[in-house]
Amino acid sequence: MDYTFQFAEVLKELPYLLGGAVVTLQIAFITFWAGAFIGIFGAIAKVYGGNAARRIASSYVIIFTNTPALVQIFLLYYALPDAGILLGSMTAVLIGLTLNAGAYLTEILRAGVISVRRSEMEAATTLGMSRLQLLRYVMLPHIAKTIYAPLSNFFVWLVLGSSLAALFGVEELTGRAINISTANLRSIETFTIVAAIYVVLTVLASSSLALVGRWAFRVKAKVF
Amino acid sequence: MFQRLIDEAPLFFNYHNLVFILEAMGRTLGMTIIGCTVGFTLGLIIAVLRRSESRTLLPFRAIAIAYVETFRRIPFLVILFIVLFVIEPLMPGASLFAIATVSVCLLSTAFLSEVIRSGLESVPEQQIEGARTLNFNALQMLVMVILPQSWKVIIPPAAAFIVMFIKDTSLASQLGVIELTFAGKMLVNRGFSPVLGFGAILICYFLLSYPLSRFAAYLEKRLASS
Repeated sequence: MDYTFQFAEVLKELPYLLGGAVVTLQIAFITFWAGAFIGIFGAIAKVYGGNAARRIASSYVIIFTNTPALVQIFLLYYALPDAGILLGSMTAVLIGLTLNAGAYLTEILRAGVISVRRSEMEAATTLGMSRLQLLRYVMLPHIAKTIYAPLSNFFVWLVLGSSLAALFGVEELTGRAINISTANLRSIETFTIVAAIYVVLTVLASSSLALVGRWAFRVKAKVF
Repeated sequence: MFQRLIDEAPLFFNYHNLVFILEAMGRTLGMTIIGCTVGFTLGLIIAVLRRSESRTLLPFRAIAIAYVETFRRIPFLVILFIVLFVIEPLMPGASLFAIATVSVCLLSTAFLSEVIRSGLESVPEQQIEGARTLNFNALQMLVMVILPQSWKVIIPPAAAFIVMFIKDTSLASQLGVIELTFAGKMLVNRGFSPVLGFGAILICYFLLSYPLSRFAAYLEKRLASS
C-alpha cells in the first residue's frame, strides 16, 4: 500500500479554509444568540407559565431534541416551497439550527431559572435590596454558576453541529473542505487538516469562554 | 399543499414503503447499538486506563487523552469523511454501513469514556482506601467497589448521549448508507411530498429517541433521590 501524503497541496489553501472557519463561527454565534432568545422565553414559560404555555414549551423541546437537526432542515428546505415559501440554503440552515438551539437552551436556562430559590429572594427583599441589587447579587450568581458551563459546552457543540450546513451547499469550514477535496483529490489530507482546525477552534472557544467565566462570573469552569 | 398531502397519503403508506422505512430504521438502530456497545467497552477501558498511575502505561495514557480530546472536538461529518477516505483504499470491499458504524464507534468511544470517567471519579476516596486496606487487587477493586457505585452516575448522561448518537447517524446518509434519513431522501426523490417523506422519517427518529430520553430522565430523577 503506497500512499504519499501531500499536505502542502492542502496547506496552500489554508487562507480559504480559515475563511470557512470564520463562517462556521458566525453560524454558531448567530444560532447561539437567536436560540438563547427563544430559550429565555421557553424557560420562563416552562417554569412560570400557565398550563398551556408550559405544555407548548415542553412539546417544542421534546420534538426538537429527539429528532435530528439534519432532517428538520431537510423538511424546512424541501417542504416549505410547497407552501410557497422559498428559503435559501443558508437561511434554512440558520432557522433549523436556531430552532434546535432554542430547544436545548430552553432546558439549560430552565435549570438556571429554578436555581434561584424563592426563600433567598424573600430574604434579600427583607434586607431592603433594590430590584437591581436583587438581580445583581442574588439571582445572577446562582444562574451563572448553574448555566455557564453547560452554555459554553453548548456553544462548542454548535460549532461542531454547524458542519451539517455543508450538506446544503453552505461554504463553511466543512463545505470548503469538500470543495477543495473534490478539486485536488487529496481527501485524507484535506479532512485531517480541517479536523485539526476544528480542534483548534473549539479549544480556543472553550478556553476563552472558561477564562471569561472566571473573570466575570467567578465560575470555576474547566479549561479542558 | 394540504390537498397534495391528502391525495398522496394512501399511496405513501403502502406495504413496500413501510417495509423500506422499517429496514432503514433497523440500520439506524444497528449503527447506534453497535457503536454504543463498542463505545462503552472501549470507553470503559480508556477511563480505567486514565485512572491508573503506573509508569509503564504512561504512553498509552497520553494516547488515550489525546484521542478523547480530539475526537470530541471534530464534527461527526468530518469523522465520517476521514474514515471513508482511510478505509476505502485499505479495504476496497468495505460496506458503507461498516464505514459509518466505525465512525459512530470512534465518536461514541470518545464521548462515553468521558461520561464513564466522571462516573468513576464520583466514587468517594475512602471507598478506594478501604478496598486497598482489605488487600483488593486493581481488578477486584474496579469490579466489586468502583463500578457498582458509579453506574448511577454513568447511566443517565450515557442515555442522553445515545440519543445524540441516534441523531448523529443521520449524517451517514451523506455516504449513501440507506438509513432513515437516506430512506426519506429516496422517498422524496420518488415523487412523494417532502412533508410526507421527511415527516414520516422525523416520526421514526422520534419513536427511537423519545423512549430513551424519557428513560434517561426517569433514571436521573430516581437515582438522584436515592
